[in-house]
Amino acid sequence: MNCKKIEPHWWGKTLAGIFAGFFLSIGIVGIFAWLGPDGLTQQITEEQRLWKTQFNMWIITPIWLLILSFVYLFKTSRQAWTWLGGAACTSLIIIAILREML
Amino acid sequence: MKIKSDVLRTYQTIHTWTGITAGLLLFIGFFAGSLTMFSNAIDDWATPPDYQLQQIRPELHNELLNQVFADYPETVKNVTISYESNSSPIYWYGSGSARGFSLDDKMWHGTLDENGQLVTELKHVNELSMLVDYLHRSAGIVGEIGHDQAGVYILGIAAFLYFIALMSGLIFLLPSLVKSFFALRKEKGANRFWLDSHNLVGIASLPFHIIIAITVVVFSFHDLFYSGLSQVYGNKPLFGGEDKHHEVRYELEDLPTLNEIHAKVAQYAPGFSILSINFRGLTGEHPSASISIVNDKSFMRGPHNDFLFMNPYTLEIDTSSVTNGNGQQGIWGAVVTTFFGLHFGSYGGELGRWLYFIMGLGGAFLFYSGNLIWLEKRRKKQSTEQSKSSHFMANLTAGVCLGCAIGIAGAFAASKWLMLGDWNINVAYMWVYYALFLTSILTAFKFGAARFSIFGFYGLAALCLMIPITSLIGFIPQTGIWLPTSASDYGVEIGSIGFAIASMLAAKKVKKRVYEGEKNSIWYCSKYTSEQPSASLA
Repeated sequence: MNCKKIEPHWWGKTLAGIFAGFFLSIGIVGIFAWLGPDGLTQQITEEQRLWKTQFNMWIITPIWLLILSFVYLFKTSRQAWTWLGGAACTSLIIIAILREML
Repeated sequence: MKIKSDVLRTYQTIHTWTGITAGLLLFIGFFAGSLTMFSNAIDDWATPPDYQLQQIRPELHNELLNQVFADYPETVKNVTISYESNSSPIYWYGSGSARGFSLDDKMWHGTLDENGQLVTELKHVNELSMLVDYLHRSAGIVGEIGHDQAGVYILGIAAFLYFIALMSGLIFLLPSLVKSFFALRKEKGANRFWLDSHNLVGIASLPFHIIIAITVVVFSFHDLFYSGLSQVYGNKPLFGGEDKHHEVRYELEDLPTLNEIHAKVAQYAPGFSILSINFRGLTGEHPSASISIVNDKSFMRGPHNDFLFMNPYTLEIDTSSVTNGNGQQGIWGAVVTTFFGLHFGSYGGELGRWLYFIMGLGGAFLFYSGNLIWLEKRRKKQSTEQSKSSHFMANLTAGVCLGCAIGIAGAFAASKWLMLGDWNINVAYMWVYYALFLTSILTAFKFGAARFSIFGFYGLAALCLMIPITSLIGFIPQTGIWLPTSASDYGVEIGSIGFAIASMLAAKKVKKRVYEGEKNSIWYCSKYTSEQPSASLA
């Protein structure tokens, strides 16, 4: 760990939190939607699907909000973009693969 | 707890800026929101006793429904049967609909007279609570985007800032939390007192605030999230089954009786009673009945009731917000309905409503006091001249916060008088609210926050007192003003007296601070306007 102080970089970090953060939250929820319990590959009833989809939609928000709140802990905006953007891309690639394979 | 100083500094800045940008919007949302806890009582109070048509015995509703179908065939598309004592037994929209926001809605009301003959009337929907709810959901910001008001999206964005403000406030409070949580240091000056109470209210109601912030973001942006999810889902459907529905057309004469529907509901959700049944598309491809049910002993998911959807012909239950194991909502349904319930505060009966009312007002206090702390921090302690930005923010804070309360109080005070005229009452409410709200802001900027706060609070107290005084006029016959009759009517009157007393006390306090408080403050005014230099500018 380097001991450098946190740089403000307000705009860069905020935008990373908004955009990369949004796709990362969708990505995390997407992986959960495919592989989690009552997932997309399982046979579930219409009523179960109704509530599971709503649940998936609901948990995007807390994840995104937490990312947004803690994005300012990154030392620089470049770091924020690298980590969040990288994680978002990885999660979306995993989903693309899941969509193809399952 | 130890946190590195650069982290603390970062989050202190974030807290300040998120708070100052979102605070005033959230104030309106919370103040109006705490009043919506009593929206049923408010509508009951604002509705003349003869407005709703006579409720009938429950066993007659079936006959009433059939007569309405015969005389008004368009009602097969959308009609509601109600069993509530203060509602007409049947009603349907003449123009407008339950969805969306419109001031022009007209509603047909129907009942049976003593000979069993159908009686109907077309009336404007008078909902004073609609004004309050509109302010709660949009902060009064005018305009529409897509199918929702622009204000809904703006409050959604404010909710993001609000959540970040909560987290950042928590972070930079953590190190001193244990020491000073319950400390209300009055002796260290007004600023300390405001800061301590801001922290106390914020921490004590943190879970409530986290829930509100999350739910508001979801309420505002669910369309965005669903479209994101649909990309992730690929070719799997978001909703609905993968197997095709059989195309079945139902005939109206095959509709089961209301008794059969009641029996089915009682079997699915024992202990619940039916408030109303809304039939839709009875001759279309997807006939549905959405049934409002209540049980005071259980956690409720809607603002006023639980719901249950069924096919009214086959009596098959699609789903329900009641998760008692008779359906297949599972853990997912339980979590989702809990989110709704926690926002609406509808789970604890009357006590829960009061608790949410108090926490809502506490939230409004949080944003108001936050702005005050910001002002105190920035003031020049050695000079009577304060900066332009300080004055601007002080004027705006006092103008918006007091103006919102004055506007709502004015609409309540005018309500019974407005009912006497032959106009669209919902439009009239809007005029009253916006006229008072904008006048307040202009006055605050004209005379400065300090002076405005004094007569603003007196004005608010006067308007609040107007509410019960107006009702007293109901004792004089022939005025057209009606007396309160139910417990909830009296609740509204007593509540407004409570608000009147509170604003009188506030006016006294403010007066003392303005005239006798510390001189190097934006809140100080000398007694005579001529000696007052810059407060009126800004």
